Amino acid sequence: MVFKREWKRAQKALWIWVIALGGMSFLIMSIYPQFAENKDQLQELMKLYPEAMLKAFNIDQLGFDSALGFYAIEGYLFVTLFGSIYAALLAGGILVKEESDRTIEFLLAKPISRTQVVLQKAAAVALVLLVFNVILTIINYIGFGIADDNQVDLKTFFMISLAPFLLHLTFAALSFGISAFFRKQRLVTSISLAIVLFSYFMSIVSSISDNLAGLKWITPFEYVSSGYIIEHVAIKPAYLIIMVLVIVCSVAIAIWKYHKKDLIV
Amino acid sequence: MNVIEINNLTKRYGKSRGIEDISFQVAEGEIFGFIGPNGSGKSTTIRTLLNFLYPTRGTAKILGKDMVKDSTYIRQHIGYLPSEVHYYDDMKVNELFQFSSGFYPGDTSQHAMQLATRLQLDTTRKIEDLSFGNKKKVGIIQALMHEPKLLILDEPTAGLDPLMQSIFFDLLKELRQKGTTIFFSSHYLSEVQKLCDRVGIIKEGRMIKIENMEDMRAKQFKKVHLHFHEKFENTFRIEGVLQEHITDTSYEFIYNGHTRDLIEQLRSVPFYDVTIEEPSLDEVFMHYYEKEEGDQHGL
Repeated sequence: MVFKREWKRAQKALWIWVIALGGMSFLIMSIYPQFAENKDQLQELMKLYPEAMLKAFNIDQLGFDSALGFYAIEGYLFVTLFGSIYAALLAGGILVKEESDRTIEFLLAKPISRTQVVLQKAAAVALVLLVFNVILTIINYIGFGIADDNQVDLKTFFMISLAPFLLHLTFAALSFGISAFFRKQRLVTSISLAIVLFSYFMSIVSSISDNLAGLKWITPFEYVSSGYIIEHVAIKPAYLIIMVLVIVCSVAIAIWKYHKKDLIV
Repeated sequence: MNVIEINNLTKRYGKSRGIEDISFQVAEGEIFGFIGPNGSGKSTTIRTLLNFLYPTRGTAKILGKDMVKDSTYIRQHIGYLPSEVHYYDDMKVNELFQFSSGFYPGDTSQHAMQLATRLQLDTTRKIEDLSFGNKKKVGIIQALMHEPKLLILDEPTAGLDPLMQSIFFDLLKELRQKGTTIFFSSHYLSEVQKLCDRVGIIKEGRMIKIENMEDMRAKQFKKVHLHFHEKFENTFRIEGVLQEHITDTSYEFIYNGHTRDLIEQLRSVPFYDVTIEEPSLDEVFMHYYEKEEGDQHGL
């Protein structure tokens, strides 16, 4: 029941985000043909940019010479950053909202265990994010078709589409786990947003300076860096393991905390 | 069989007072009233029973099962009405009933609709557009719809108009006849008087008295109002005065004892006029609160 209800309740926001991000991606890909025509000029222009900036946006690794590279620099940013914000907001609110809106006293008077509530809500978040990513992937695929006559490498395209899904799940799980410790939704929303934006900032800083390269390990954005994925057609195994661990642990912590929590309304 | 069995239940948390060492039983088929002023621990007790809160100490059994370990099972057979009703704003009333129904075996939303008709509630409206009283009706229906063995109602009548209150009381009486056990809290003592078999009085987190309603009624209390021509001076003393209220030309008090003794004592009082009437239960209960304070001061 809880799963069904949360799935239904998430629809409106889901489609707003799909339209916004999908539209953005599509728009970006549709200007690629013009870019491609003036490729040489663009290459010259890029040389004028400071190296730090090229590094920050992975332009040094990717270049604008293929549709995939172009997408990885432009569209991918939107999908990863804004998608993560959406994921964090969705997951951060879903559990704490019941306490914040004081509806928990209604829900937990029904014969459902607290663990079930947490699991069903986590499952609803996972499904919403899966649908979110699948639809964005389809939109991107169409976008690529329009942008480039040459077929994109399907395996690379798959990896570059799977990575944001994992990233979204990671941020969602983090916010979800943290939210179990709070009673007010507003606070959780702020913290979730701060985590996403701070992580993004860290990923920029760590790619600009080699001295700060160690920071790469603490920012999920680096785990799904488009540069690495396009070069290796894979997500770095260590990063993959970290993401899976973060997701599993966060949900486990949420269950543990929610189970022993006093629900004060 | 006892439907509720509470042993030395204590809950302390944060700045709230919580409850200290509460013990009592509610038998099957009984209507038990739980009385106390705001903030005395009524809701804390109820929320601990429902396992929203974990007890600091003590145990409780509901329907013979442990309230913490078997909480999910217990809630299958409980109907709960919180003191403040909050529902999902985006739902319509009938959607909430359907949602609620999904947690129980069988289709209970049919029964919910019958109750809605009886309480004159429009089920096609959005919950957020409902008035406080109508939200309360939604709460009552979702507590009753699955025909639970035990009803726990936290201040059920607050916000209901008198007509609805009486329909609601009729509902409870019917449920009692079917054998439902009802545990409800209130700070309106008159409604307890109408309905309950027994009543527990809670104050500052402690249960100070459990009274049988029959005994309550049998005890003789009178409310006495004396009027004077001149300015009233408290020169006489009447045995059995519980609470007094003095104005310039009048003296009002609750008397506990035999009425004959009261009349005897009043003979020597130079009053101009007197009225003697039945006190409300509220006024009688005030006596418990005051007596408790007296005990603490070593009187």
